Amino acid sequence: MTSVLFKICFRLSLRHPLRTALMTLGIAIGVAGVIAIDISKTSITKSFELSTSALTSRSTHQIVGSDFTIPQHIFTQLRTQLGIKASAPVITRHVNTDQLGNNTFTLMGIDPFSESHFRSFETIKGDRSRPLDLSSDRPGVLISRRNARQFNVKLNRPIYLRFGNKEIKTIVAGFIDTGDVNSRNPADGVILTDIATAQELLQLGDHITRIDLLLHKDDIDKVRQILPKGVFLVETNKQNQVVRGLSQSFETSLTAFSMLALFMGIFLIYNTVSFSVARRRHINGTLKALGASGRQIFLMVILEVFLFSLVGSILGALLGIGLGKGAVNAVCTTVSDMYFVLTVSQTHISSMTILKGVLAGITASFLASIFPALKASRAIPITLMQRSASERAVQNKIPIFMVTGLLLISCAFMIFKIVALPPAYDFIGVFILFLGSSFLAPGFVLLISWASSGLVQKYGKVLFKMAARNIVRSLSRTSVLIASLMVMVSVFIGIEIMTKSFRASIETWVDGHIGGDINVSSTNELDRRLDFDLLEQIQKLPQVTELSAYNIHRIYSVVAGEVHIFSYIKDLSEKQWTWTVQGPDKMETFLEQGWILVSEIFARKHAFNPENEDTVTLETMQGPVQFKVAGVFRDFFMGGGRAIVSRNVMKKYWGIDEITSMQIFLNSRDEIEPTIHRIKEMIPGTKMIKVVSGQSIKQKILSVFDKTFAITIALQILTAIVAFTGILNSVMALLVERKKELGILRACGAKSDQVGRMMIMECGINGFLSGVLALPLGVFLAWVLIDIINQRSFGWSYDMVLSMGILLQALLLSVGAAGIAGIIPAFQAGRTNISRALHME
Amino acid sequence: MNLKLSHIDKSYGDSKTKRVIFKDMSATLVAGKISVIIGKSGVGKSSLLNLISGIDLPDKGTIHIGDRCITDFDDSERTIFRRRRIGFIYQFFNLIPVLSVFENITLVAELDNTPKDVFLPRAMALLETVGLADRKNDFPDTLSGGEQQRVAIVRSLANDPDIILADEPTGNLDSETGLAVLEMITDLVKIHNKTLIMVSHSPEAMGFADHVYAVKNQSLVPQTSGLDVLK
Repeated sequence: MTSVLFKICFRLSLRHPLRTALMTLGIAIGVAGVIAIDISKTSITKSFELSTSALTSRSTHQIVGSDFTIPQHIFTQLRTQLGIKASAPVITRHVNTDQLGNNTFTLMGIDPFSESHFRSFETIKGDRSRPLDLSSDRPGVLISRRNARQFNVKLNRPIYLRFGNKEIKTIVAGFIDTGDVNSRNPADGVILTDIATAQELLQLGDHITRIDLLLHKDDIDKVRQILPKGVFLVETNKQNQVVRGLSQSFETSLTAFSMLALFMGIFLIYNTVSFSVARRRHINGTLKALGASGRQIFLMVILEVFLFSLVGSILGALLGIGLGKGAVNAVCTTVSDMYFVLTVSQTHISSMTILKGVLAGITASFLASIFPALKASRAIPITLMQRSASERAVQNKIPIFMVTGLLLISCAFMIFKIVALPPAYDFIGVFILFLGSSFLAPGFVLLISWASSGLVQKYGKVLFKMAARNIVRSLSRTSVLIASLMVMVSVFIGIEIMTKSFRASIETWVDGHIGGDINVSSTNELDRRLDFDLLEQIQKLPQVTELSAYNIHRIYSVVAGEVHIFSYIKDLSEKQWTWTVQGPDKMETFLEQGWILVSEIFARKHAFNPENEDTVTLETMQGPVQFKVAGVFRDFFMGGGRAIVSRNVMKKYWGIDEITSMQIFLNSRDEIEPTIHRIKEMIPGTKMIKVVSGQSIKQKILSVFDKTFAITIALQILTAIVAFTGILNSVMALLVERKKELGILRACGAKSDQVGRMMIMECGINGFLSGVLALPLGVFLAWVLIDIINQRSFGWSYDMVLSMGILLQALLLSVGAAGIAGIIPAFQAGRTNISRALHME
Repeated sequence: MNLKLSHIDKSYGDSKTKRVIFKDMSATLVAGKISVIIGKSGVGKSSLLNLISGIDLPDKGTIHIGDRCITDFDDSERTIFRRRRIGFIYQFFNLIPVLSVFENITLVAELDNTPKDVFLPRAMALLETVGLADRKNDFPDTLSGGEQQRVAIVRSLANDPDIILADEPTGNLDSETGLAVLEMITDLVKIHNKTLIMVSHSPEAMGFADHVYAVKNQSLVPQTSGLDVLK
């Protein structure tokens, strides 16, 4: 490309700094969104790895108990009876401590003499780091050197560890060497102690959490034979997968959002770049008329776009890194609350993430410019110089656009219905759907315009008529704007419907699950039993109309991790059934016959298929037992899911006959506080029992779930910013092309504010058209998010709640964003230099 | 109403590229007459029309139209004045492409919120005068150049202004059509008793003029023979 052509591009860019800045900003925002969400996703993965790698080891197998503890004599048997030296007892428990920023840590009790096969902690004594040494003058715990420095915790100082409502005091007996204090290490999430100290602190008696093993194939059966009922041998890899699967669901949804951000970014960049290239149409035509070759024109366009996209992508990467860092904490908190406690959170910015974002920006820019560049290089000069020629060309192609759009939409439907892709890759179908809808946009704009032309003609004032007709007249421009805005508003609608539907389902579930006015439960981590005497006393209170008592027992499932088993004295919870073997009113009968009821997540994780009349296997004190499933209910408890069994089954298979919680129903809500007070008086001071209103528990549960929407809210805000930037860019470009017409209007006697109003009306109409077209697209996107992404990622289902309010809100957003984006161009339009504009030709 | 320009200075560009168009220019253009402005290309003829119409402001001096000093008006007042008192005809017609013929004609009246029963009959009558009543719902891109200019002429008269400014109204037309347009403009102006100030290179235009002025030496100079200036 000759230097003069490059000079033309460069000077044109400098001459219009606002437009240049807007184009760069458009690309930057598109890239930033992609990178920020990707950083969140990869940070979760990394945080997960750091949080779990300190706990896992080089073991091949683990011995675990169905109730998460095993007697320590099993370890002795392994060593003495079977001679398995590569074995290590381990105790783990999540604790919090104010001395270390009230963060959650894993208290880990180990036997240092057994650790050499499994973990490589280095401890610091004095100035020196040495292999694991837990010996000390006083029993205590070890924390990482990094944490000690960060929170200014000194040797031999007291440290208070909390689990549940219990607090235990110990001292800092030493430090774990975690290498470079500036980088996160898995041991930063660990508080280490000797196994005997851990048993004492946690009052475990002679129990431990598990035993890590390095086993040869030949020893596996031997070990299984010595294990009592309720204790089993599992492969470490499989266990890691079960635990890993917990966060993978969340990562999958983040991948989905990352792809949504990517699509929005692509559409914004396409909008930005295509307008920029179109603006140069007249200059390109003049250059061709003067003798520039098609190849030179093509290269000029492409090179300019490439340079802009590079600058924009780099800026976007920097912006995305900043946004991503800000998002990581919120996202890690959500994962910790919902799925798995991340004891080490790390912002992980991988070069792949940056590369992906920058490449997306450059590729989208290139794709957006290639067609206009080819057109410019091949067209005869007069058609480039005449705007009307390009508009006619677009209008002539509308039938082809419509056919292309319908074909793409059909492709998308096939992907959703027929082709089985991993959940996040269903979004390829979403992208194709967006693309197809964009091709349909010009045709629909013409259709709506034709349908409303009579009304506009009859009732519209002259400025409104001009605003409405300008949209059709500039269809080659406005259809790109409308298509881009349509995609963005549909993303907003889809996410809004998904979150509102999810929240509605959560509220229904919480109301059903925590139906009582008052909830009584034990906070004693070591003994959760409630006295039956308390139950009887409460039942006698005159204001109590109903009382439900139940036991929650945690068991370990080889395939699903932690499962909660419920058994009720009287089940008053309301369930939403997704399947029952017979009518829901028969469920009690089936329970009494030894059948069980399971949650959706449980069913999915245990691969339960009602059509095959499958049974599920639960680990019990008598070993694995198969149970028939009478019903599957909707439930949002994560982990391995929930199962409900009868009291007899609980006693028979897990030896549990107690109650751990009560739900109390009163005859009036006014009685709640006095009744809480009355119940507290019944409880001896030594008992760790919590008596709270059902409403407060519901609020707490809802607030945890509300945190999961943080990322979706961020995505919606990004949507609004992207939409605003896209419109502003487009309208500024249209303003340049309308200079003469605006000058004529002003010369004829239109005041500045009248011209400005016309511009804002035009923006508003664009916004309205985009919003209307976005409605069906957004509803469909919501269906994809709810039925496909959520169902396949998390295993839970919920009903789509479609309210006119959401649709109206989206329409208002579309019109509002467009109108507001039109303010600056409207102001500029009003300030048109009339004489200069009139003499443009 | 007479048009009086007093001690007008006007230049364009910054200190490095300054181009003086008028320097202490004063002139009075008589009301109800046809005045033709001539001069070489780039000398400031269109700039003069922009100043008279209030589109542009002089650097110094005053412009009175009747007893109104438009140089004292702010932008909004000048716009309203222009809308109500001045009609403009351009070389390149400058019709609004998304408005039909009739809508172009009634544009100014609608901008001014003139009641429909006042401007509609007038607009229709004018359209019939120029023989385009049957094209009232057509759009400008379906009209020939001559037809578009006829619409522009009607538009300039539709709101019953006092002054018509015409900037090379026949510059984009063939000679036959141009002559027809000139006749039409001058006839309508006389019928409706308007003041016409026309910039033109066309010798035929000189034939319709009551007065001829030349823009030269940064001033507006009355002429006896327009052709002399063009040499």
